Amino acid sequence: MSTYVLMKILESAPNRYDRGINILTFGRLNKVYDRLVSHIKKDQQVLDIGCGTGELTLKAARKGAFVKGIDINPQMLEIARRKINDAYVSDNVQLIEKGVAELGDENPGQYDAVMSSLCFSELSEDELNYTLKMIWRILKHDGLLLIADETNPEIFFKKIIVGMIRIPLTILTYLLTQTTTKAITKLQERIVEAGFNIISIRRSKLDDFIEIAAKKPKGDEK
Amino acid sequence: MKSLGYIITNIVETLLRVIPFPAKTGMIKIGSPDRNSPVLLTCNFHLTVERVKKQLKGMNCYLLVANSKGINVWCAATGGLLTNHDVISVLKTSGIEELVEHKKVILPQLAATGIETKVILEKTGWRIIWGPVYAKNIPEFINNNFNSTQEMRKVNFPLIQRFEMAVSWAFPISLVVAFIFFFFWKEDILLLTSLIWALSLLIFISFPLYSNLLNVKSKRVGFILFDFGRGGFQIILWAAFVTVLAAVTFFNRNFSWQVMIHWGFLSLVVILILSLDLAGSTPVYKSGLHEDRLLDVYLDLEKCKGAGFCEQVCPRNCYVVDKTPRKTRRPRGELCVQCGACIVQCPFDALYFKNPHGDVIPPDSIRKFKLNLMGKRFIKTKND
Repeated sequence: MSTYVLMKILESAPNRYDRGINILTFGRLNKVYDRLVSHIKKDQQVLDIGCGTGELTLKAARKGAFVKGIDINPQMLEIARRKINDAYVSDNVQLIEKGVAELGDENPGQYDAVMSSLCFSELSEDELNYTLKMIWRILKHDGLLLIADETNPEIFFKKIIVGMIRIPLTILTYLLTQTTTKAITKLQERIVEAGFNIISIRRSKLDDFIEIAAKKPKGDEK
Repeated sequence: MKSLGYIITNIVETLLRVIPFPAKTGMIKIGSPDRNSPVLLTCNFHLTVERVKKQLKGMNCYLLVANSKGINVWCAATGGLLTNHDVISVLKTSGIEELVEHKKVILPQLAATGIETKVILEKTGWRIIWGPVYAKNIPEFINNNFNSTQEMRKVNFPLIQRFEMAVSWAFPISLVVAFIFFFFWKEDILLLTSLIWALSLLIFISFPLYSNLLNVKSKRVGFILFDFGRGGFQIILWAAFVTVLAAVTFFNRNFSWQVMIHWGFLSLVVILILSLDLAGSTPVYKSGLHEDRLLDVYLDLEKCKGAGFCEQVCPRNCYVVDKTPRKTRRPRGELCVQCGACIVQCPFDALYFKNPHGDVIPPDSIRKFKLNLMGKRFIKTKND
């Protein structure tokens, strides 16, 4: 799934984003999102961090949940807004231009689930720590944290293979947009450190993509 | 040893200036700061961070490095890569709030094209103070009770910067050209790279001589030569050269396709250098490649209350604020580079852009979509 580097090319042209990402992932991301929202139930309060063009937000809203999608890119949010309107779920969705650093103004214990796809890898060390702390604060007890993201494989030979696929893509993306995506390391450990209990983990064969479902344990205040 | 590292960093990152160099974001302690020490913020272009750190040496303060994706302050803020979110993020997540009593942060003035003081204050409680354009003026700015003089607010294009700019153009171009010529005409590489360096240096160092030609709006003669994509003057020049070459060789009976292709390509490279985006790579003129250059700033005197934010952030000192009546004037409007800082900062929306068709671009469109949409923003305005 190293093709996520190309995501950056697409992101710089939000109008092409969805079509492009579908081609790049051979529809795989679609399945990833289906698995993520399988944890979500009707009428739940859900936060989607880094909602982008709103794919994941839309899926959760279709299940009847009330979703707040936040992203720092106003152009992507415009597209998300259009999609949400076209799908007639706008009553269930709220889209706001907001970054992770502004999670402090969300009420504590507000959400049944917080989900985030391909966003944590974009965050700096400081931002990630802050975000995990904030998510813990705004989740209800037994609330779920659902994450899908790019990871750095830990086994050497997988690193080499992923690197070989990734490097040319990285160079291409860099030349075109002068940005690059980062993969995240030790995501699972960080989530545990932040006080969550992992309920399920699914890794890609090359270990360069991870899906995590974690729970905020009941009762014990940190 | 440390200063050697600084020199190497400067050389390497000047040669490769066109490529972003991201530095680590977050908080840096300078000296031994206490709970009342000043807090400064800059972008995460590595060279900028190093240069700011050098200027802050000997002081006690905190330096926050915000994520501008490895790009310099002005370009990043104007192009939508250094945004309110990046500033909020470093203020909230770097831990600075636990370290100082006050909530005042000094930002480089050039960030005013993308960072809104009002939004930052609302969302974080931090008050932005616009610092000087150049890092070298920071110590004086701080000693001067956080006040910029008119000189500190102004963007210049001195010899040293022109030299840097020439080098950062010449190096990547000669690399690419040398690579291509390596496979076809190896013997020309030395000649051609020297030519590229000589031309680039000449163009930038002699810049003040013809900068007037770029300046006057009605006759932007300079743009014809130094701006590819306008008028196709360069292509005509090149075609004329190739035709003359063909004619001369034909009449001398030594015409050959090989010579034509060789010299045709060589002259094309020279023409391309002459038409590099000179205006755009200077800080004092707008790139010929962007339509923003065609925008004009308008001042609505009905709305203006003479708050003077525009005067504080204008890098060209276009504005003067009168005391009675309290209104703003733009006596030096012809110096404007359409950066948009005044429009973004005006609390009364008294300033806005107008495009050549006379359409008004509302200040909120600039605040939201910045100047990076290659025409998209115009579509947006029409929808509104």
